[in-house]
Parts: sequence; C-alpha cells; structure tokens
Amino acid sequence: MKKLVAIIFIAVSFTTSAQDKYIQGMSKGMQLWGEQKITEASNLFERIAMAEPDNWLPYYYVALVNTTASFGVKDETKLSQQLNKAKEFIDVAKNISPKNPEILIVEAMMNTAWIAFDGATYGMTLSGKNTKLYNEAIELAPNNPRVIFSRAEWDMGSAQYFGKDTTPYCKDVERAIELFATTEPKETPFYPNWGEDRAKQVLSQCKS
Amino acid sequence: MKSFLLVLFLALMGTSSAQETISGNVIDKSGNPIVGANVYLEGTYDGTSTDEEGNFNFQTSETGTQTLVISAIAYDPHYEVGEVSYLKNLKIRLTEAINQLTGVTLSAGTFEAGDNSKVSVLKPLDIVTTAGAAGDFVAALQTLPGTTTVNEDGRLFVRGGSAEETQVFIDGLRVFQPFNATTNNVPTRGRFSPFLFKGITFSTGGYSAEYGQALSSVLLLNTTDEPDEEKTDIQVMSVGSGVGHTEIWGNTSLSINTSYINLAPYEALIPSTQGMEWNDPYESISGEGVFRVKGDRSMFKFYTGFNQATLDINQEDINFEDLVRFQLKNRNLYFNTSYKHFFGNNWSLFSGASVSNDVNEIAIIEDAIDTEEVNSHIKVKVKKGFSNRFELNTGVELFSTKYDETYQDPDGFTFDGGYDDVLVAGFLEGDLFFSQNLALKLGARAEHSNVLDQFSISPRLSLAYKSSENGQFSLAYGDFYQKPLTESIKFDQSLDLEKTSHYILNYQYLDNGKTFRAEAYYKDYDDLVKFDTELPSFNSEYSNLGKGYATGIDVFWRDNKSISNLDYWVSYSYLNTKRDYRNFTETATPNFAPKHNFSIVTKYWVEKLRSQVGVSYSFGSGRPYNNPNSKNFMDGKTKPYNNLSLNMAYLIDQQKILFFSVSNVLGFNNVSNYQYANVPNDGGFYPRREITPPADSFFFVGFFWTISTNTKSNQLDNL
Repeated sequence: MKKLVAIIFIAVSFTTSAQDKYIQGMSKGMQLWGEQKITEASNLFERIAMAEPDNWLPYYYVALVNTTASFGVKDETKLSQQLNKAKEFIDVAKNISPKNPEILIVEAMMNTAWIAFDGATYGMTLSGKNTKLYNEAIELAPNNPRVIFSRAEWDMGSAQYFGKDTTPYCKDVERAIELFATTEPKETPFYPNWGEDRAKQVLSQCKS
Repeated sequence: MKSFLLVLFLALMGTSSAQETISGNVIDKSGNPIVGANVYLEGTYDGTSTDEEGNFNFQTSETGTQTLVISAIAYDPHYEVGEVSYLKNLKIRLTEAINQLTGVTLSAGTFEAGDNSKVSVLKPLDIVTTAGAAGDFVAALQTLPGTTTVNEDGRLFVRGGSAEETQVFIDGLRVFQPFNATTNNVPTRGRFSPFLFKGITFSTGGYSAEYGQALSSVLLLNTTDEPDEEKTDIQVMSVGSGVGHTEIWGNTSLSINTSYINLAPYEALIPSTQGMEWNDPYESISGEGVFRVKGDRSMFKFYTGFNQATLDINQEDINFEDLVRFQLKNRNLYFNTSYKHFFGNNWSLFSGASVSNDVNEIAIIEDAIDTEEVNSHIKVKVKKGFSNRFELNTGVELFSTKYDETYQDPDGFTFDGGYDDVLVAGFLEGDLFFSQNLALKLGARAEHSNVLDQFSISPRLSLAYKSSENGQFSLAYGDFYQKPLTESIKFDQSLDLEKTSHYILNYQYLDNGKTFRAEAYYKDYDDLVKFDTELPSFNSEYSNLGKGYATGIDVFWRDNKSISNLDYWVSYSYLNTKRDYRNFTETATPNFAPKHNFSIVTKYWVEKLRSQVGVSYSFGSGRPYNNPNSKNFMDGKTKPYNNLSLNMAYLIDQQKILFFSVSNVLGFNNVSNYQYANVPNDGGFYPRREITPPADSFFFVGFFWTISTNTKSNQLDNL
C-alpha cells in the first residue's frame, strides 16, 4: 500500500510540475511581451505551443503577439513574415478550438493589419472577410466585451474612411466597457483578457 | 519491486537535478549571425532565443537523445538529434526558406491579377475601373503590353497572333466560346462577369505545359472559392440591367448573376450612323451561376453560363448598292465542374469537365447558315510537392469537338459541312527551386488529334534568376501547337497542326507599389494554313505551307505610391511581324498587327467628392491594308489610332454608386481598314470605303446598388 501511495505521489508531483511549467512559461511569455521583447515572447509561446499541441492558448498568443506587433510596420517583407507566422498559428488554434470567438477576432485583426498597411490593395478584398468574421464572433459570443469592442472599433475605422459619423458605435464601446467590468474572468488561466484599456481610450476619443 | 521503485525514483530525481547546458551559434549561409532564432528541445519547454551575435545558451534537465530544433522566420527549420550532453558549442547554419513572397517567381510571359500574388500587376478592382473598358475585363487586359489595339474586334490579339490564337480557361478547363457572338466591325465583349472570379492570369507566351491548343496566349480565370457574404446586387444601366445574388449556407454557397442587355433605347437616343443601320439592335439575355462546396480538404465547384443574343443589322458594302443585311441569333450554354482534393503529404488531385453547346442562326442577305458546335474538355491532374524546392504536376486531358453546319442559298442549293474530332493530351511538368534566387520549370506536352491523325510533342522551359532584392531575369522557351480553325478544317481534314515556338527574355523590377517589366521575344510560326480563295470554301485548295515570325519588345510601368491617390500604368509594345497565311499572296504584316502600341491608364481618387476619376489614352500606329490599285501586296497603312476615354464612379453612399463613362471623348475618326471593290471601275481603278466603328464615341451611365447585411460592401470593385 505504501508503495502505491508513493507511486501516486510521484506521478502527481510529476504532473503538477508539468502544469507549473506551463504556468511559469506562459507568465514569462506575458512578461516578455509586456517588455516589448516581441521575438522572445513569440519564440517562448511557440515553444510552449509545440510542447502542448492540444492547447489553443499558446498558439493564440503566438498569433496575437505577431499581429499586434505588425501595426505600424512599414517594411512589406517584415510585415508579411510576421503576419504569415500569425496566420500559421491561428490556423492551428482554430483546428484545436473551432468556433472560438477569441480566435476569430484575432484573425480579423490580422486582416486589419494588412488593410492598415495598404488600404487600396487589401481594403476591398479583406473588409468583406472581416465583416463575416465579426458577425460570426458576435453570433457565438454576443456578450463578450472583446468581440463587441473589436467590432465597434472596426466599424468606426470604416465609417471614418467613408467620412461618416462614428458616434453610433460609441454606444457599443460603452457597453463593452461595462461588460469588461462585470464579466467574470474565465477559470482557464491565461484566457484572453485584453481590451479594456484600449476601449477606454477609444471611448475618451468618442467624448472629446 | 522495491528496487524498481528506487530506480524510478532515482530516474526522476536524476532528471530534476542534473542540468545540462545546451549552447551554440546560429548563422546564415554567408556567415552573418541570425538574431531571434527560436532554439528548443522538441516536446519540452526548454529553449531560448538567439542573441545579437546569434548565440544561444540554455539549461535543461532532459537526458538521453533529444531533438534540438532551430527555427527562424524566413529560414528552413534545422534539427540536431543527439545526446543532450553533446549539444554544446554547436555551429548551426540555416538555409533560407523558399518563399513565394520574397523569392524568385516563374513569371516570364505572365501577367496576373489577384489579391496577394507577388507577380500581380493588376488588382481585380483595376480590371473593371479602367476608363474605356466599360466593365469588360478583356478590354482592360488590352491596356497591357503584348496586346495590339484592334478596336473593331474586341478580342485579344497577342504579339502578332490572331484572336483565335488565344484560349480562355475557367478553373483550368477550356471555355470554347468566351466571347459574345457578333458580326464584322461590331466589337464583342467577354461573356463573363468579372466579379465571379478571384484571379486572372494572362500569359502572352511561354506558358506551362498544362495548357495547349493555343499558339499565342492563354487567359486563365479562377472562380472565387468562398464568397465573403450574402448580398444582392442590382445594376441599372443605359444599355440594360442586371441582378445578382449570393447565398451562403455554411461551407456551401451559390452565386447567380443575370443580365439583360438591349441597345435599342441607346440607339434611339444616339444612333450609330457610320456605315450601318440597325434593324434590331443587339439584345441579349444571359445568366451565370456558381455553386461551391468547400470541405476540409476539398473544393467542389460547378459553374454554368447561358446566353442568348440576337441582332439584325444593315451594313455598307462596297460591292453592293444597298446595305447588306446580317441577322444573327446565337445561343450558348456552358457547364464547368471541378473537384479538387488535398491529400496529406502534399498530394493533390484535380478532376474536372467542361461542356459547351453553341448554336448560331445566321442570315446574310438571303443566304442562311445554321451551325451547331458541341465541345467538351475533361481533365485529371495530380500535383505532388516533394519539398518546398521541388513540385511535380502531371495530368491527362481529352478534348472533343462535334461541328455541324448547313448552308442554304435562296435558289435552294444546300451544303452540309462539319467534322468530329477527339484530341488526347498528356503533360508532365516540374518546378525546381535551386535556391531563393534560381528556379526552373521544365515540362513537356504530348497531343494526338484523331481527325488530323497527328501526334505532337511540345517541350516547355522557363528559368528565373533573381538578380537583386527587387529585380529578376527570366527566360522561357516553348513549342505550341493548335488545330487549324473550324473554317478550314470543316472542309479539309488532311491538314496538319499549326505551330509556333516562343523565345522570351524578361526583366522585372518590383519595389513597393512600383512595377517595371520589359520583355523581348521572338516567335516563329510554321505550318500555317493557306487556301487559294478569298475566304475558305468547300472548293478551295488547302495546305500547311504558311509561315511567319513575330518579334518585339513589351514594356510596362506602374506606380501607385509616388503620388497620393493617383494610380497609373503605362504600356508600350513594339511589334515586328510578317506572315504568309490564309489567302496572302506573299509574306506581309497582317492588318491586325500595328507596329507601335501605347496606352496609359490613370485613376485618381478624389476624397472630397467620394469619386474615382479615370482617364485612359491609347494609341496604335497605322495598320497595314491591301490596296489592289498598288502593285505591292499589303503596302497600305491607315492613319494612327487614337482614343481618349474618361470615367467617373461616384459613391452616393456606401452601397450606391453612380458610374459614367465616355469612350473616345475627342471623337477621333479611327479607320481600321479599307474595303476595296471586287472589280475595278471604268477607269481601271478599284474604289474603296473606310471601315470605321459604328459610332466614334460611346456613352455609358449606370447605377449600382448592393443590398447586404454588411452595410459597407458595394459594387465599386465590379465596375
């Protein structure tokens, strides 16, 4: 009996150590990302993804890190490398976790990065895709503040381009902020929780 | 048992205590350090990124044989397998990944219009917002170099080749009648609405072994895989109207598009008066539909198009006192279905078939000609990527043709003609990337025609070398065969295939919104069909003794970055060609081959007016014609061709667009050819008449409205 306990103990301690490693690794990744060490953060999330092929989150973060870093990049080669990397990982994430609104909005964000780089080239072809992605996401998660806010921000950008009034979308931003405050955090560690700060920023522009 | 536990325990202890250091340095092929490479033991969390000097160094508690992965953006990943304790002070050299976006491309002879393609010179939007093109994508392609301005025809004349030398494919399958039926001097349009297609590849020579039965050029259209949204498009135009709708059910979708064209109201307002009068102006009703099912690893598409057109016209003819009446009724039905499956290991299979049925009822004065043509094309091909450096493409094809024609004159004389043919073809082609800078495409195509009882083999070769960051050189060579045209083969089936060889040298420079291309070519024509009467007829003598050549330089420049909101492209083609074919009495430059062709297309977005304004200008030098009053054959030359066209698209709101266009706004009187009398007048002189377009200018007004859940989409990209 004692032996059995010992074996179980060892086995359990072993698994918890794997879980710890995951927590440690992901935290380190978030830290690197926070320090703007984009390559290191992306590489670390990629290493975790390779070791955890059934978990969509590390794949999601590789995509998110590379996508957010792509805004403002002027060099087309660098941009396409980063966004291709993001695409590669978001596709895997989608396979692991289909119909996931968090993944859909990052996919839309990747399209927005292309449009922001060259609207004349990519605007026509990708804006339709984005509308489709946001519609799908809102259908899956009508009360997800990130989905509501991302869509509102996208709509505002388009309205601005066409010289239209952007204020109708401010309501959505407000609603997203309320939901950010009231939505209970998911139990899954490292479940996406970004967006609140940016939403407040956008709302302040609404009011000004 | 105890000892086992102990071993297990020790083993676990061992892994957690003994730390090994893994270290090394990562460089590229020229020895420069690679910064930010990801280095890790496969399946573990242990790893790091390389520093500024390309060095890496990390601790691991893993033991035994492990795989060290070194990966970096734009490089092929590298694997080192070995005992952890030996993975120290490694020197790792990564090779550049072959990347379509930054690497060399096999592009000699090819123009692409697509979304993300690197060699894309025109965006889908450009195809249809070109002034003077009036929504006809073929007319937009005529602003590219390598084509010649043959405005009275409307089809594509490429590098000294006649219009019949260009073949059109949808999703890899032949379209047998890509253009609307028409008569002499009334320009035709492509049958297809541009918005069902996601990409257009226009090759002016040296194309892949996958395509045959085209002496000069192929135009490849690919239908959209997955529409973005459900919507309804409504078009109200000065020449007719149209409705389109797209419906999506998960992975299945259907797009339909119907249009009705009637020139009568326009002709009532602004009649065409030059050399003709309408009895019944051109009227057509057409419908197209695409049905698609997208699977995880497969794509099924079914395309169908139906078109019925009628016209009744009286045209001047120098040999007749009165106008000559021409009546046409054309019915065309086309199906195209394909299935693509992607297996694991980079295998893919494509199978598809297209069938067309084309019926014409023609009346010229009192003669009646009825024709019916049934064509089909079946194709199966497989593609295998052995690595990202080598890809093989092979397939077999079958083309069948059944053509019947009845001619009847008012005296009751009838003549039945026609022929049946089955043509079998096979091709094998490999793409080989030696490095990021050097690539080769090598292939061959074999064909056998039943009716001609002839076998042909055509080698194809294309080589590309990337000489600098933005520039590349390409070379291409190929032999191309094509069956003689129906007009001859229906009378004489002992003819042989016609042949060309293409030799192409291309230089291309791409730099962020700027594209420069220059291409020099030589084309050798052989075994062209000749006959000894004015037009091919049942009592003509036929032979394959014709031959010729075409050589020239094509230059293209496009810039959409230097001036904000302005996009323009300029094309120039120099063409030197002579041939002896059809009823030519000696080698000469044909009427459709002017020496110099120039065009400039500009588009300017006016933010304040929410409008896009477009101006196009095209020029063609004088076209050769034969003057029977002169001793020499084909020594006449018309005056040069000039056309300045304007258009404007105004966004009323995000879903409503008003579109205006005027072609040949300055009213240049363009003469494409002269018709001489068959017999000289009393003074021994052959009188002539100018062949000019029915009207100098053409006006177009349209209103386009998109209804969708997405309030941002509109038809600007369809104009």
